[in-house]
Amino acid sequence: MTTAGKVETAAAARRELARPARWSWLLRRREILVTAVIVVVVAASTAAHPYFWSSSNLAFIFADSVVIAFLALGESFVMIGRGIDLSVGAIMGLSAIFVGFRIQNDGISLPTAVLLGAGVGIVLGLGNAILVGVVRLPPIIATLGTLSVYSGLEFVITNGNQVDTIPNSITDLGSDTVLPGIPVILLLTLPIVIISAWVLRYTTFGRSIYAVGDDAEAAYRAGIPVQRVLFSTYLVSGLFAGLGGVAYLIYTSGASSTTGINDNLTAIAAAIIGGTALTGGVGGAFGALVGSVFLTVTLTAMSFAHVSDVWQPAGVGVLVLLAVVYDSRSRANGGRRGAWRLRRQRARARAGGAR
Amino acid sequence: MTTTSPVPAAGAAPDSGAASATLALPPRYRVPGWGVCLLVAIIGELAYFTLTTRQFAGGGQGMLNLTEQFAPTGVLALGLAMVILTGNIDLSCAANASLAAVIAGTVLDKGGGPAAAIAAAVAVATLVGLFNGVVVALVGIDSLLVTLATQFIITSVATSVAGASPPFGFPSSFTLIGQSGLDYVPIALLVFVVIAVAVIVVVGYTGLGRSLTLIGYNPKAARYSGIAIRRSLTSVFTLCGALSGVAGVLLAAYYNSAQPDIGTDLLLPGITAVILGGMDIFGGRGRIGEVVLAVFVLGYMSQGMLIEGDSSLSITMITGLVLIGALVVKFAFERNFRQRMNARMRRLRTPLHRDADG
Repeated sequence: MTTAGKVETAAAARRELARPARWSWLLRRREILVTAVIVVVVAASTAAHPYFWSSSNLAFIFADSVVIAFLALGESFVMIGRGIDLSVGAIMGLSAIFVGFRIQNDGISLPTAVLLGAGVGIVLGLGNAILVGVVRLPPIIATLGTLSVYSGLEFVITNGNQVDTIPNSITDLGSDTVLPGIPVILLLTLPIVIISAWVLRYTTFGRSIYAVGDDAEAAYRAGIPVQRVLFSTYLVSGLFAGLGGVAYLIYTSGASSTTGINDNLTAIAAAIIGGTALTGGVGGAFGALVGSVFLTVTLTAMSFAHVSDVWQPAGVGVLVLLAVVYDSRSRANGGRRGAWRLRRQRARARAGGAR
Repeated sequence: MTTTSPVPAAGAAPDSGAASATLALPPRYRVPGWGVCLLVAIIGELAYFTLTTRQFAGGGQGMLNLTEQFAPTGVLALGLAMVILTGNIDLSCAANASLAAVIAGTVLDKGGGPAAAIAAAVAVATLVGLFNGVVVALVGIDSLLVTLATQFIITSVATSVAGASPPFGFPSSFTLIGQSGLDYVPIALLVFVVIAVAVIVVVGYTGLGRSLTLIGYNPKAARYSGIAIRRSLTSVFTLCGALSGVAGVLLAAYYNSAQPDIGTDLLLPGITAVILGGMDIFGGRGRIGEVVLAVFVLGYMSQGMLIEGDSSLSITMITGLVLIGALVVKFAFERNFRQRMNARMRRLRTPLHRDADG
């Protein structure tokens, strides 16, 4: 028994030595890895099509990814707490419709619109929060139910109309650039991402989310109010989805009854690519932003390479698969161990026993 | 030893072996009676819509014919139910059904017979299911992630195969599967019932079914008791793929066309039916029969509302509300029931406990 343990630690030590330790942390930080891949994709696309590196195209990419980034950001809070929110796209759509009609009919200003969007998001997120945090329904069921309700509500509220006249003063935020390639909306989003990262990393609330997601039982025993933390994550998710609705209005200058209905899974995909795991306890705010940018960059690069739009969903799917295959954390553990790992483990045990 | 009479100990004899074990019911104890609730709901719906809407009953035949519209959802839900029973999920099944419909349509368009079209569609869908199963079971990636990814990929493939003008206008020898009946019973309903019975038998009365339930209930215990987890999981995803294929064929036959997004809208109703049917989303608990009842509850509800003139999206909303409402009630009831039963067991156990301590 002890020899087996020794052999194993020796083997592990040898592996550690064999690995170039100085750079390995870069590969382990998902945000940095994905950023590197983004740079490669952008460089390759620019080499093939110089227009890719134009201010307007980059601005388009960033403005597009900001919408998904908001959803992925909220989704990250929930997923770090080992939950899942299938309703973010519908919340975004409802917020876009609600705020859009107020802008269109009452001419409210942008700050008011942002506040309104945040309010709508929080109210809708409250529904999820109550179902998961108070009634204690499993998150996937609760948010599946609210997804149905909210996407139906989108249709009921629009009643066949759509938002299509957003004043230029607002939509310009999505197309005007401060620096070449950097739209105003990205600059407005960055502080929010930084604040989220700070909250997750340095506040009691943020650390509690990681603790709950890692092991709810241990978190409970450590005195963390588990249900209250879960409750809050769904509120945060709703808040960001609501802000995402405003970003959607700025970017597309319109909204209809089907806005966001297909974005629920894309948001989850972006969060996963950014390094947040469904199994809880890992992930971060920058990952959500980087994951969204990566998705948009790759899809844009695909259309630059004359790949038919038909294959865009497949692109998302393949990226998700690659991300999870790369990420050993997302392999099921415990009873449902992967065969490869099992085989490796058995081989290791045999080797240990033989010596 | 304290002088307790032997009577209570004898009375509690069946439990006495576990005197020192936990006093609580297992956390996943299943409250009986959900199936009866669903049955009452179906009867209530049928009565309500018959009274309020003239066209609904149609002399009984109308009620039967309505099943053609939700039979595909039902078949999809049956496959999904087996996957959810193992504690996994298949988000790709609806996209898979679309792909199968497109394949069937393309084969028919190219001049193939109905049999060839059905075989090709189900075969392709089965292969997709097999792929899901292999990645989930052998590579060991969470099924939610795998099927999230394959769902995106299948959608692209289906759109690409369908091309700019998706096939439509199939020969009547094919569309009769979805549009006509043997005597009074729609063929789609027959297909659904046959598959439902088969799935009930597989899950309830075969080794595979017991394995699926145990894998869902306690994967670790399943592994330690020597259950072929990888093989069972691969089988269940493959089966789910095959049933998605059947659902796709039914859809193509019913609509007489094969749009590449023909089945996409069935994912939510499918999962909703499984959950409303009392299947535990974490696996290991649930009855296929109750899922079948839930399919009828949801199907008749949406069809009745459609006939009454509601739009399909407001029906989606009502469906969501029904799902949430039913589950909130069910969860609250189960928690209450468990607490009462635990209290009763504690009262029963107390003298026995003293006996053991003494």
